[in-house]
Amino acid sequence: MNPPAPEILRGTLDLLILKALSWGPSHGYAVARWIEHATNDALAVGEGTLYPALHRLEERGWITASWGASENNRQAKFYALTRKGRTQLRAQTASWHRYAAAVFAALDAPALD
Amino acid sequence: MARWTRFRKMFGLEPKGDVDAEIDFHVEMRIRELIEDGEPPERARLLALRRFGDLDRTRQELIVINERRRRHMDRAEFLTELKQDLGYAIRMMRRTPGFTAAALLTLALGVGANSAIFSVVNGVLLQSLPFKDAERLHLVQMLYPDGTRYTSLSAPDFMSVRADARVFEQIEAIDQRNVTMLGAGEPREIDAAFVSGGLFDMLGFKIATGRGFRPEENKPGQSQVVILGHGLWQRVFGGDPGVLGKSITSAGITYTIVGVAAPGAALPEAAEAYFPIEFGPIYDATTAQGRRGEFLTVVARAKADANESALDGDLKRLGTQLQSAFPESNDGLTFTSKPLREFMIGDVRRPLYVLFGAVGFVLLVACVNVANLLLARGSARHGELSVRAAVGAGRGRLIRQLITESMLLGLIGGALGLGIAYWSTQALIAARPADLPRIDDIRLSSTVVIFTLGLSLLTSLIFGLVPALQVTNQHLLLGLQESGRSSGGGGRKMHRLRSTLVVAEMALAVILLTGAGLLIRSFIALTQVDPGFQPGGAITLRVTLQGAEYANGDQIRNRVDQLITRVRELPQVTAVGVGSILPLGGLGALNDFAVEGAPPPPPEVNQEIAVAGASPDYFKAIGAPLLRGRMFSDLDQPKSPPVVLLNEAAAKKWFPNQDPIGRKVLSSSPIPKEVVGIVGDVLQRTPGEPAVAQMFAPYAQRTGRTIRLIVRTNGDPMAMASAVREQVRALDPNLPLAEATPLADVVSRSVARPRFYTSLLTLFAAVALILSATGIFGVMSYSVAQQSKEIGIRMALGARAADVLRSVLGRAVGLADQINRS
Repeated sequence: MNPPAPEILRGTLDLLILKALSWGPSHGYAVARWIEHATNDALAVGEGTLYPALHRLEERGWITASWGASENNRQAKFYALTRKGRTQLRAQTASWHRYAAAVFAALDAPALD
Repeated sequence: MARWTRFRKMFGLEPKGDVDAEIDFHVEMRIRELIEDGEPPERARLLALRRFGDLDRTRQELIVINERRRRHMDRAEFLTELKQDLGYAIRMMRRTPGFTAAALLTLALGVGANSAIFSVVNGVLLQSLPFKDAERLHLVQMLYPDGTRYTSLSAPDFMSVRADARVFEQIEAIDQRNVTMLGAGEPREIDAAFVSGGLFDMLGFKIATGRGFRPEENKPGQSQVVILGHGLWQRVFGGDPGVLGKSITSAGITYTIVGVAAPGAALPEAAEAYFPIEFGPIYDATTAQGRRGEFLTVVARAKADANESALDGDLKRLGTQLQSAFPESNDGLTFTSKPLREFMIGDVRRPLYVLFGAVGFVLLVACVNVANLLLARGSARHGELSVRAAVGAGRGRLIRQLITESMLLGLIGGALGLGIAYWSTQALIAARPADLPRIDDIRLSSTVVIFTLGLSLLTSLIFGLVPALQVTNQHLLLGLQESGRSSGGGGRKMHRLRSTLVVAEMALAVILLTGAGLLIRSFIALTQVDPGFQPGGAITLRVTLQGAEYANGDQIRNRVDQLITRVRELPQVTAVGVGSILPLGGLGALNDFAVEGAPPPPPEVNQEIAVAGASPDYFKAIGAPLLRGRMFSDLDQPKSPPVVLLNEAAAKKWFPNQDPIGRKVLSSSPIPKEVVGIVGDVLQRTPGEPAVAQMFAPYAQRTGRTIRLIVRTNGDPMAMASAVREQVRALDPNLPLAEATPLADVVSRSVARPRFYTSLLTLFAAVALILSATGIFGVMSYSVAQQSKEIGIRMALGARAADVLRSVLGRAVGLADQINRS
């Protein structure tokens, strides 16, 4: 965390959450842990942004929530992808790849003569 | 999402607690992880919280999102449940077709009848007249010393009022009469309004194509223009837009069409075409001549601040001025005014209100009936509702379902009722009840629709709710027990409520029936009044002799004589009469009357007499008897001494205990006329109004352009119609001919309005009776169904069918007794 972490881009967090849930239902803490781990904690995803994002996705119907027992046998709220969420994940992944490729290509391009 | 909803409800977690639990879990997991990494617990907790950031803000944000989501879900849930309720309601309606049909029919009849009659009342009485500033428009009338009013003014009087009245902004006149229109297809008779220049502006009368009248077109020699009414333009000219500039001919004058009226544009007097009044020499405020020839309908717009007494005061002042200026013509006469609205609506106000009241009764009966049906069904469903409550349906949920059912019932019933209302309003308009004014303004209005729909919804809502509240108020177990024992609960109290309702509706129906019975009796009495003539066996035909061939009286008389001669030669014809009026066709002209040599009568006695022309065989043709003296003969010619016949009423009025035959009378001319005979009274207006004094002059001495031809036969009168028409056509193909009608029609027409009201009220009473009979049936069959077990036990214990019947009938008679007493 020594160089200041870049602010996460709008919409990117949603994509990461969907990705985190693509392996099966998990609770908010596990989602947070996965994102920290997968991005080497390079993105500053605070709980203050993660949980509202989770609840908004639930509101949009991309994920559902239900209470269940956690691995240490505590009541935890588990989120799971819905069919709609899975479709969104596919579409947004593809579009993110195209976007990133375009930005990379532009950064490598020589000057116009 | 639906799964989560169920879940949340089962654990009863609130959004707030939900959010707290989730955050707590997160923080706890983080602490645990930090401890595992070797942090001391105190520091781990601190680190975990710091890492989380602003905990409170996040919590608030989550709560807002969750509240919002819950509202959306509640709405979705409400709609889902509404769909369920509706589905259930429809299934219920299907399962009890008898109840459904009875309730719907009741609602439909109540709403339908109410809307239709309210539409009539609304169109005729409540809506404002189709004129600009209608509430300031008045009709100027003549006021006679005995207090009677006459609707028309003479041309010079009109000019005087127009010149001197201070309380009116504008005064205009209409001269409405029948004219023959030539030059557009068949010759035809049309209602024409000759109007003064500013009338269209004053009334807001709109022209669709072309122009209105110009001020100079009232001047003599410049009035040969015509504006077609919209209906006439459609009917005769096929709505041809190129009609402007074409011309029509009437009475030998050619009129250029300069405009077509907008659809719906109308005057206080019915007209199909509009002409400018030609202000000839008779339109002169300074002369006495022509002051007693009244033919103008005068409409005036009062100044904004003038009240009715100011209007009357000013008109009286004017009248007095004219009395002193023209004593020989205006002695004793003044003017008065009447709001135009009253003039156009006339005396239909009371019968319409009576009908409206009757319809209100029917609506009440219908409401009571629906209430009763709903109450009975509510009781019958007591068990079902209790079971549903027992398995977890909340009170609000049950009530909502019952409301949905009632509303559905109310809506469908209301919709059916509107259908009935639309159809019966059309039927009412098509029936053209006699001379009901402003019938074209009758429409199914949105006010009516909203009012009646609201009422039917309210009724079904209130009385659908009563059982719901009742069921949900009771102890559930009690309801279940009761439902095991009998088909329903509600008990004694409910039964009493229903009985009271039935008693009330029966009482209303009885009131209506009594009213209808009274009307029917007076209607029968009306039809049994001796008309004084024989309506059967004769036909009548109106002929108007207009045009260049009929410039003077001799020409008209010659043609009428030819006509009588030709028709009389037709086979089976027994008498041919010609007169200026028909029996029951109104009073016709009213003239002053005095007996020569008699002392002048007191001023408050009306010295007017209705005057008509009649050919020698007129009375034979209508079938009225000669009581004394002689009829007219062919010897009574224009040049021979003037003679008259009096009816019995006139003879009694002016010659009490004297013999009028041979006496001389004075009327509308200084030359005395000799009374040669007395004829029986013939009804003039309606069978309800006794004949008034009437005087007949020979048609030869009182010749008019419009004649009524009456042909009496000893065969089928209508078979004669075409033969008679052929004779007229043979004499002059240009004469406009009305359809020949049986003379008996004048009688049925004269009672058309009472018949209309009577049949409507009878219909309402019948509907009310049927409805309340349904109500009694409902209550009785319900109470019998409730007692079926009891009856079964009694019969098993040896009661005979007759005993059971007696007990059931006893209850019914008890109800009837209550009705009698209430």
